[in-house]
Amino acid sequence: MTGLARLALCTVTAMALAASAGAQTKSRSGGKAASPPANPYPQRFQAVCAACHGANGRSDVPGTPVLAGQHSFYAATQLFLFREGRRSNEAMTAVAKTLTDADLRGFSDFIGTLPPVAPPVPATAPDAARMSRGAELAQKHKCVFCHGADLAGGQQVPRIGGQREDYLQMSLQGFKSGKRPGYTMAMSEAVSQVSPEELDTLAYYAARFTRPKAAGN
Amino acid sequence: MRAIHSLVAVVTFVALAALCIVGAPLAQQKPPEEPGWAKGRPKTDEAMKMAPVPAFPVPTPVDQLPVKKFKLPPGFKAEVWASGVLDARGLRQGEKGNVFVSTLFVANKVYVIPEQGKHEAKAIIENMPLAAGIEIHKGSLYLATNTKIMRYDNVEANLDKLGEPTVIYDKLPGGEDHSWKYLRIKDEKLYFEVGAPCNICDPGEWAKIYRMNLDGSGLETIASGVRNTVGFDFDPKTGYLWFTDNGRDWFSEELPNDELNVVTQPGKQHFGYPFCHQGTIPDPEFGWGKSCADFVKPAALLGPHAGSLGLKFYTGKMFPAKYQGAMFIALHGPWNRTKKYNGVYVAWPDGKGGAKVEPFMTGFVENNTYLGRPVDFLVMKDGSLLVSDDHAGAIYRISYSGK
Repeated sequence: MTGLARLALCTVTAMALAASAGAQTKSRSGGKAASPPANPYPQRFQAVCAACHGANGRSDVPGTPVLAGQHSFYAATQLFLFREGRRSNEAMTAVAKTLTDADLRGFSDFIGTLPPVAPPVPATAPDAARMSRGAELAQKHKCVFCHGADLAGGQQVPRIGGQREDYLQMSLQGFKSGKRPGYTMAMSEAVSQVSPEELDTLAYYAARFTRPKAAGN
Repeated sequence: MRAIHSLVAVVTFVALAALCIVGAPLAQQKPPEEPGWAKGRPKTDEAMKMAPVPAFPVPTPVDQLPVKKFKLPPGFKAEVWASGVLDARGLRQGEKGNVFVSTLFVANKVYVIPEQGKHEAKAIIENMPLAAGIEIHKGSLYLATNTKIMRYDNVEANLDKLGEPTVIYDKLPGGEDHSWKYLRIKDEKLYFEVGAPCNICDPGEWAKIYRMNLDGSGLETIASGVRNTVGFDFDPKTGYLWFTDNGRDWFSEELPNDELNVVTQPGKQHFGYPFCHQGTIPDPEFGWGKSCADFVKPAALLGPHAGSLGLKFYTGKMFPAKYQGAMFIALHGPWNRTKKYNGVYVAWPDGKGGAKVEPFMTGFVENNTYLGRPVDFLVMKDGSLLVSDDHAGAIYRISYSGK
């Protein structure tokens, strides 16, 4: 299946799941008091999120972010922005509209437990010149000030090292054009003076970023 | 040297005036080399992990609010007055009893909560980023964002549909750092601050408390050298304006302290920023050629990186005599300090320009993590005190029974 076909399929699936998830919540609250599972969110993640984002949170669907290694605070901010209608994406808006505050916490907390998964080894080695240019730009534009030298982020700041390149590219260009709102104004201010070409280089770099191995390992 | 300084001042002023005319936010004109809050941050691993943390996007469920953990002086009691109020910041009350609640980065709303009943919050203004500064005066709600100040008339009669506001001032500089507002009205003048557009920099016409007529005319400087005040109130006895000021970041874990200040000569006093911190420490960069003796000393110190926010003189009758004439101060708690602390503090003017400060309500921190972060106050007609908490999305009521 082509990437685009997969994306279309997973969007439709997500929207259908969102509709049934809403129904499920209703019937649950009206039904007899059965003892609820200790934490329903690992299962609900597999049912609602995994089709697009991957069972382990490592997505292979175009334009769909990797959730493995993401922070629960950051995940909560994005689900919130989708639910409020501030950030727009058909599939995610449909899912987020059905979420209660408790769901928002539950899904985010579960996402926060998914360990980082390294990207698949690319067929061709990264372009060394472009990688070193990306590293330079990450210093120059102070990406590392919030995302950290290891690009791992923390709290409300997302992990960007190892994220999908197409998703990073779309996000950065979106922050610059104003299409993509942030939870705070940090990103729109950070990219306002960065050229579109430099943003693409940053996306290339962050997607292929691997933590330098310590000597002796 | 003096000529250069005044030239810089003139250039800054002309640039500012030009910006005001076209209404362009300062941040676009002069991009910072790094995020404003990060200026001066050491490059150590520990410091590099610290950054401002916004409020969590979901309020804490009512049964998990930390009310049972609060510690208060004997005879006082804390209870939940309202919950589920995402990003609850500023508190003001209308003549008919409605409580208005502002928000900052997360909710983009102003809520109203009826004084009676279940205290459920209803959004009356939505899609309004940085809707932080609110004040109620003669039936009107004044609302200040980082770019403009608006007035909604006859607000308590129109809670279902406020209608379009009258914009009374649209030349605020905007931007991100310290750009949100806190408002008070006294003697038909509106008081507000313009915080420094950075952690530490030459702030030009920023870093001041201003006042204006209620129609937006007659802008005057009330105090200079004020880095970022997010709370001020007038002493009912003397009429003096008392204000909290958030000290610079990244100087060290324990320095400088936030300041509690008092304006005794409106328009004539400079409180030190960016040259001198907490009245005693010359800035390592901007302090050269300056002396702390040339600036007004703080009335009291409020703790390192305390995040001192709302300030309110207690005007009720319920609390014991000790608290009559005292002011309550909300310490939101530090983000750029390893060990967290916060709480509601109380301060008494000593009549000699100073003040005595004591903790009043603590217990918001557990395992070095915030369970709640106090922001602002409201003295209710019965003398009880409301405290907003933007971290938990709640409002607490403090009452005194002596038991």
